[in-house]
Amino acid sequence: VIQRTIISKVCVYVLCPVQFSLPVSDPSRGPHFTGCRSREQETFRCWWSAGIFQNLTEPGTLRVFYQTKNALSEWQECPDYTHTVKNECYFNKTFTHIWTSYCIQLRSVRENITYDETCFTVENIVHPDPPIGLNWTLLNVSHSGLHFDILVRWAPPPSADVQMGWMSLMYQVQYRVRNASHWEMLDLESGTQQSIYGLHTDKEYEVRVRCKMSAFNNFGEFSDSILVHVAQIPSKESTFPTTLVLIFGVIGLVILLVLLIFSQQQRLMVIFLPPIPAPKIKGIDPELLKNGKLDQLNSLLSSQDMYKPDFYHEDPWVEFIQLDLDDPAEKNESSDTQHLLGLSRSGSSHVLHFKSDDDSGRASCYDPEIPNPEDLAALLPGHSGRGDNHPLVSRSSSSIPDLGVQQTSEVEETPIQTQPAVPSWVNMDFYAQVSDFTPAGGVVLSPGQLNSSPEKKKEEENEKKIPFQLVSDGAYTSENTARQLSADVPPSPGPEQGYQTFPTQAVEGNLWNGEYLVSTSDSQIPYLLPEAPPVPILPPVSGYTVVQEVDAQHSLLLNPPSSQPAICPHSPNKHLPAMPTMPMGYLTPDLLGNLTP
Amino acid sequence: MYLIKNRVNVLQAWLWCVSLWPCWLSHAVPLDCKDETGSLAQCASISQEKLLDRVIQHAELIYRVSEESCTLFEDMFVPYPLHALRSQGGNLCHTKPFPIPGSKSEIQQISDKWLLHSVLMLVQSWMEPLIYLQTTLNRYDDAPDALLNKTKWVSDKLLSLEQGVVVLIRKMLDEGILTSSSIFEHTLTPYNEQSPEVLESVLRNYNLLICFKKDAHKMETFLKLLKCRQSNKLSCVSY
Repeated sequence: VIQRTIISKVCVYVLCPVQFSLPVSDPSRGPHFTGCRSREQETFRCWWSAGIFQNLTEPGTLRVFYQTKNALSEWQECPDYTHTVKNECYFNKTFTHIWTSYCIQLRSVRENITYDETCFTVENIVHPDPPIGLNWTLLNVSHSGLHFDILVRWAPPPSADVQMGWMSLMYQVQYRVRNASHWEMLDLESGTQQSIYGLHTDKEYEVRVRCKMSAFNNFGEFSDSILVHVAQIPSKESTFPTTLVLIFGVIGLVILLVLLIFSQQQRLMVIFLPPIPAPKIKGIDPELLKNGKLDQLNSLLSSQDMYKPDFYHEDPWVEFIQLDLDDPAEKNESSDTQHLLGLSRSGSSHVLHFKSDDDSGRASCYDPEIPNPEDLAALLPGHSGRGDNHPLVSRSSSSIPDLGVQQTSEVEETPIQTQPAVPSWVNMDFYAQVSDFTPAGGVVLSPGQLNSSPEKKKEEENEKKIPFQLVSDGAYTSENTARQLSADVPPSPGPEQGYQTFPTQAVEGNLWNGEYLVSTSDSQIPYLLPEAPPVPILPPVSGYTVVQEVDAQHSLLLNPPSSQPAICPHSPNKHLPAMPTMPMGYLTPDLLGNLTP
Repeated sequence: MYLIKNRVNVLQAWLWCVSLWPCWLSHAVPLDCKDETGSLAQCASISQEKLLDRVIQHAELIYRVSEESCTLFEDMFVPYPLHALRSQGGNLCHTKPFPIPGSKSEIQQISDKWLLHSVLMLVQSWMEPLIYLQTTLNRYDDAPDALLNKTKWVSDKLLSLEQGVVVLIRKMLDEGILTSSSIFEHTLTPYNEQSPEVLESVLRNYNLLICFKKDAHKMETFLKLLKCRQSNKLSCVSY
């Protein structure tokens, strides 16, 4: 049953337009319904057209019959043919039932032909009347005076009984610039007012509204348009803003740029003018280097790990003297020593260096920068000037060359080796051994015997010390010994002897420990190890004595290898190392002569 | 003649209604509020006006959603030539126990009591068919989720609407009423047929949706009329 009904309906509706309610007449067809409409869901009208059949245009030839499907009643004729309007059938309130399906037929009674049939429900053909009372009020105007907002109000059509709930209406507002082609559509509104935002002040707008039943899609006619216009307030500001804005914008931008540059000045400088990297030692202030405060520098360097602070802590004072041979003439100058040694002194390794050796944090009260080879040369007793015959030199001429030979190599090495040879220096006492002589008359000291003896270190004043450098590991030859060597020593005591002590070495103040080189032969001088004295003839006196101090008379102040506080006396001659005073006094040149056996 | 027929119909309806009334009372179970634990508790009171507003909101929403569901279904499943069926308004809707007048004037003459009972009846008559609709829609391969959600939502809202109307009836008419819809099951067209071929099933569901939309409109209209009468009796009376 369903299928039959559906198929029949399909056949019918293929011909029928879907939007049946639109009164559109099709002249090419025969008589047909052009549409049915209801305005308020209480009455409705239907129109038809005779079409091409012109002979049926007379009234009464075509008749409308309707049927309400619910009651399944028979076909009834149109209750009211409108007299004023042609081809219209009017169904009044009594004949209008909603929620029921109507079917209408267009018949020619005479021929008993049904030209057209259509079915519908009344709520599906409702097109509400347009709303009334459309008006607008100004909500606000923007600060610039260019835009404004309005509130549009209207009333539902009077024909629609909204209050009873018979019809629930939805409204649609449209607006456009006057005489424009395109209407702006706003969203559906169930109330009776709507705001429109963003209208321009200098333009004139048209606003209109229409409504439809909710849950249906049949809009009614539009209401009459209203005109909306808000005059633009002519103010001086309106002419200024652009130029003012431009000016202020530019000024602001410039200020920003300047601020940016000033704030980021450093960074910009780095980017545009990258600094030239200066040489830098980590942890050391370049200012120190500039000022020449080497004491501080030395302290700093001594504090560095690589400089083995232990060395400098345990050896409280000067371990070596280092003379800086900065006068090349000095080197090349042939001096007595050179003649004696028979060697060309080209290197500066033999020299007693007063070096400003920054690498060594030597506890020395001497200022290493001011070398005074003369002063040091004058350390040797009896010597007062440069280039004079050293008593030692003269006396130990034979031995010295050998010494020199041996020690030269050692001397050359030791400037480098002294630092690595630090561990051996831990036990090193404040011994200095004269191992060689400079042509200028300076004394080249060598590392002495390793003797553990605690020494206080002038740690506070280690900058102003001349770094003593034990240049070689050779034997220590005192002046005394040298004299004796030259005088008494037989030519060749033998290398194996190594050391030969002199009974008359009872030097006041324990000059040395009795270990000194005696050999005069040209043969290889045995490398004297300070720790292997074959026969200490002397009473237990250390073979080496450290020259502690040189006083104004250029006398050597020695001290026994006992713990002595390391003092850095403020000698008038700051170049000289300050040594702890010897309890035994010092050996003056006069005394030396007394030491001979 | 038609007018007389209509009046007879109305009278019939009335008699029918009155005859059924004692049945309803005999099965009357006062609607008590139950809190979450299930024990009977005192409900928070709500004014009749507010309750009516809420009920009307429910009805409006249900009506709107029913229309959306119908559109969705139509777009998805119904061939274009058959879209015209919609304008017919559903010829084959299941018949009600009593006819509901369609003209405005007749409706305006219906009493409050009748209005409420009609609404209740309508609500209760649609509960089972909607469940049937849901099951068939779930069987479709490409039913859109929106459609399924809407039908589910409508089923839930109908229950709420039923409860609201029952409370209204109790408050406005001082009657207890049966909450279940079992009384109407036998009067409805049975929907437990075997699932026919696809087109027939589609058309059946389409018809179902159209009919439901119509009945939802009826509910809304009745309730709004009732509200109009509550607030302003004069303007709601026609003529």
